Amino acid sequence: MKKRLFLWKGLAALVVLSLMLTACGGGSATTPATSNQPSTAPAGGGAPTATTVKAATAVPPTAASAGGTTNVPPTASSGGVKVTAASGFLCPQPNPKLNVTSKELNLFVWTEYIPQDMLDCFEKVYNIKVNRDEYSSNEEMYAKISAGGTNYDLVQPTDYIVSLMIRQNLLQKFDQTKLPALKNYNPTYMNLPFDPGNQYTIPYQAGVDAIVYNEKKVNPPPTSWEDLWKPEYAGRMVFLDDSRVTIGMTLLTLGFDPNTKDPAQLDQAKAKLAKLIPNIKLFDSDSPKTALIAGDVDLGLTWTGEAFLAQQANPAIKFVYPKEGAMLWQDNWAIPTGASHTDAIYAWLNYSLQGDVFWLMLRDFPYINPDQAALDYAKTNQQDLYNKYMGSNITNVPPDAFKNGHRITDVGDALPLYDKIWTEVKGSK
Amino acid sequence: MNPNKRAPHVILLTILVYFFLYAPIFVLVTYSFNASKTNIVFTGVITQFGDLKLVDGNVMQSPCGPFHWFCELGKNQEVMNAAKNTLVIAFISTFSATVIGTLAALALQRYNFKLKTFSEVALYIPIVIPEIVMGIGILTLFSQIFSYLNNSFGLSGDGRLGLGLTTVILSHITFSIPFVTLVVRARLQGFDQSFEEAAMDLGANEVVTFWRVTLPMLLPGVLSGALMAFTLSLDDFVITFFTNGPGSTTLPIYVYGLLRRIITPQVNALSTVWILVIFLAVFLLQWLQNREVRS
Amino acid sequence: MLRKLRENKSFQGILLISPTLLFMIGLLILPLILTTIISFGSRNSDGGVIYSFTLDNYIRLAGFSTSCDNGATSCFDPLYAQILWRSLALALETTIIVIILAYPLSYFIARASAKRRNTFLFLVLVPLWTNFVIRVYAWMMILRTEGVLNGVIGAVFGFLHIPFTPLNMLYTPGAVLVGMVYEFLPFMILPIFTSLEKIDNSLYEAAADLGANSIRTFLRVTLPLSMPGVVAGTILVFIPVMGTFIVSDILGGRQVILVGNLIQRQFLDARDPTFGSAAALILMVMTLVVTYFYTRKFGFGEEIVIG
Repeated sequence: MKKRLFLWKGLAALVVLSLMLTACGGGSATTPATSNQPSTAPAGGGAPTATTVKAATAVPPTAASAGGTTNVPPTASSGGVKVTAASGFLCPQPNPKLNVTSKELNLFVWTEYIPQDMLDCFEKVYNIKVNRDEYSSNEEMYAKISAGGTNYDLVQPTDYIVSLMIRQNLLQKFDQTKLPALKNYNPTYMNLPFDPGNQYTIPYQAGVDAIVYNEKKVNPPPTSWEDLWKPEYAGRMVFLDDSRVTIGMTLLTLGFDPNTKDPAQLDQAKAKLAKLIPNIKLFDSDSPKTALIAGDVDLGLTWTGEAFLAQQANPAIKFVYPKEGAMLWQDNWAIPTGASHTDAIYAWLNYSLQGDVFWLMLRDFPYINPDQAALDYAKTNQQDLYNKYMGSNITNVPPDAFKNGHRITDVGDALPLYDKIWTEVKGSK
Repeated sequence: MNPNKRAPHVILLTILVYFFLYAPIFVLVTYSFNASKTNIVFTGVITQFGDLKLVDGNVMQSPCGPFHWFCELGKNQEVMNAAKNTLVIAFISTFSATVIGTLAALALQRYNFKLKTFSEVALYIPIVIPEIVMGIGILTLFSQIFSYLNNSFGLSGDGRLGLGLTTVILSHITFSIPFVTLVVRARLQGFDQSFEEAAMDLGANEVVTFWRVTLPMLLPGVLSGALMAFTLSLDDFVITFFTNGPGSTTLPIYVYGLLRRIITPQVNALSTVWILVIFLAVFLLQWLQNREVRS
Repeated sequence: MLRKLRENKSFQGILLISPTLLFMIGLLILPLILTTIISFGSRNSDGGVIYSFTLDNYIRLAGFSTSCDNGATSCFDPLYAQILWRSLALALETTIIVIILAYPLSYFIARASAKRRNTFLFLVLVPLWTNFVIRVYAWMMILRTEGVLNGVIGAVFGFLHIPFTPLNMLYTPGAVLVGMVYEFLPFMILPIFTSLEKIDNSLYEAAADLGANSIRTFLRVTLPLSMPGVVAGTILVFIPVMGTFIVSDILGGRQVILVGNLIQRQFLDARDPTFGSAAALILMVMTLVVTYFYTRKFGFGEEIVIG
């Protein structure tokens, strides 16, 4: 009996060891097959496209044909060697190419939020290994960072948590002289109230939380937050599992500030929110599009990226900005205190924000893109993508929807109040 | 003989329960051949090699045909790295916890010493503590220690102490030890000490006796404990999340994050591979057993 | 010193247990002490801890909040008691169902031939070795409106020409129960199997000789002797169910709030670690108390577990 078990353990160890070895060895597969992006729009259209998704044929380099906005013609610093990512994407040259001694870069980022091609190209062009740890909520990220002891170089906080992190001395200031890429940005997304002067953050992607609905099943379509309380929507909605946004939206329907700290106002919001609960089938802050596409729900509250993907899967799904004002948000790059690979950080930021690199966001993760250089590049070189982006009210937000929008801010002491309301209202089922 | 041995209702219930245990596994494996990128609905097995027209109208190039998601998996560096980390952590923590736990079981079962009750209570705690409390507690502790050490020794840059593979392994050992101790101790309770006494009488000292008499007899219990520690480490999410650092992502954390945002059949493919490996090991064992019986 | 080691048995014992103690004290007791200290603190506006001594968190848990809806100075808010009750009920339901499902299987395996026994056991363990989260997610695929179960039932009904509206199974408390039962079933099978395996065949023969039929044998011989296994299994199931949050998150649509969810929320979304620590400690104390009385009555079953 013992001999057998011994043998088994030895065998299992051998099998597993071989799996490990193949894992290490097989990781460097560079077969030029498809890049399996979750939201790929066919990357065709436009003459000299650099992203042939098939094998790396001789394709004219991209950097030189950039739409002539802010990108200076590339220097020959990297020897003009053509570098490709694992998917076959031809990597643009870094412009400017910085002098970097660090060998690694530690990113702590949202799950599935950075195009693989962007990472691959950076690694190859600068010969820096990128380590990526991921989180699925700002709170997880905050818990880890505030406890200290981590060696991350960059994080991606959303606007409402930035002020808290600054207060807690968790972020360090950018050296703006090292960020020539700053001029790529659309000023609408710069200098926002949560970080005036962009001392601690620079924009990554922006988005809006608004109403999504399936027009084939929901008629007449909702136009305001208040509409969501209609009894005919009972059990048909998906909502974000976000106490601040949901309670904030309720406060808006009552005419209050969505960031109020007034307990009396919050009490009213609680009472009103309790009436909304029967309409909600599930709360999902991770992948609300799933329930929409699967037909589990017909409408709900969700954000830009999810709405776009849902619409792609089912064109009957529409996005509408409510009358009372939608919830705006923005994800940003920030440097935690104690980051060690400073030169790699700036190399990454400048490279990834290049127009001929950052346009990949349009292809892979459809949010509101604050990088004007990327949009300009796409206008000339990725017209299909660009037209899709500009043609959708989800990614191309109408200006008055943007103006009417509200931002969630940190409420300090009142946060447990919000959480208590949330627990009570949800737990009452 | 026991009249209950071949009772039909027992067999029926057994089959039903096995079915219940394996239905989700079957679904997982089937979906790993799903001809759909979003993997929300099963749209059919991928049938062609080459271009495949998906339900939503997009075209997916699948040179690997039905095994498309397995190929994608092979190219996914993140998953491979996470799998490697998971196994490394599991093996090291299992080995350490088994050794430490076995020693502890011996101590508690056969000796009396002042801290005995304290040890027994302490070993009970990881079983009743909510994982998140342990995770955050350990995180806070490590952070304080690291910041103190970093400041005292002036460490900076890549030399800084921080969370990583080591901290994860240490916390895994911590929650595994009680289970190993429990199992080994159980085994020790019915233990016949006459063999050890005989060995000692024949002149062997304590260490030799332990190594050549006690341990072999104890081995089934030790291995069971090791198995349990391995399983616990392999699947751990909460504690690992709070104690890992750059580059030490494990499979459960990667999968959890991935499943929450993008649902792709790649994860199913991973599960399928995993299950295949385990079944392989089981069949190999059976085959070896049969050979042993015959010879 | 070596001589002292050989002669002093107590010293030997301490030496053997010292690595364990190192880990337990360093990575368990110390963090727990920290948690306890924090639970008596209060929250600053940024979600940090103000180290003081106040019982506010515990009072809040007991249901007596200091701010009330109607302006009274003290009122009873049953919110947390409800959450606790819900978790207890779910843990109890799960345990009972798990015992019912696990027992026949364990019995079957225990009575199988020694050669086959290992295979059956490993068949039970294999699902455990796939990822916990993936298994829960698999149930999503089965239970959702356009999932496997509705598909199968729909096909059957369609074959029989009976109209069929898909069942709404996912995102309900029932789905959470199914998920919990599924996740923790193997943890009951193994202990019960171990205790059943130890029952000597001669006992059955004796019972048969004395004229007992199968039911009596089961009730008088099998069941009592397997109780240690049931007890061990209950501990391995009941306690984790009380503290899990992933299953209720994913399968319950984030609407089934259990104690585990509450604690997790406090540390993450609510940024109220003092309250979370208090809740966690109460949970721990409760499970300790329940386990203590349970094992007093039925025995710890430590001679069982696995192996």
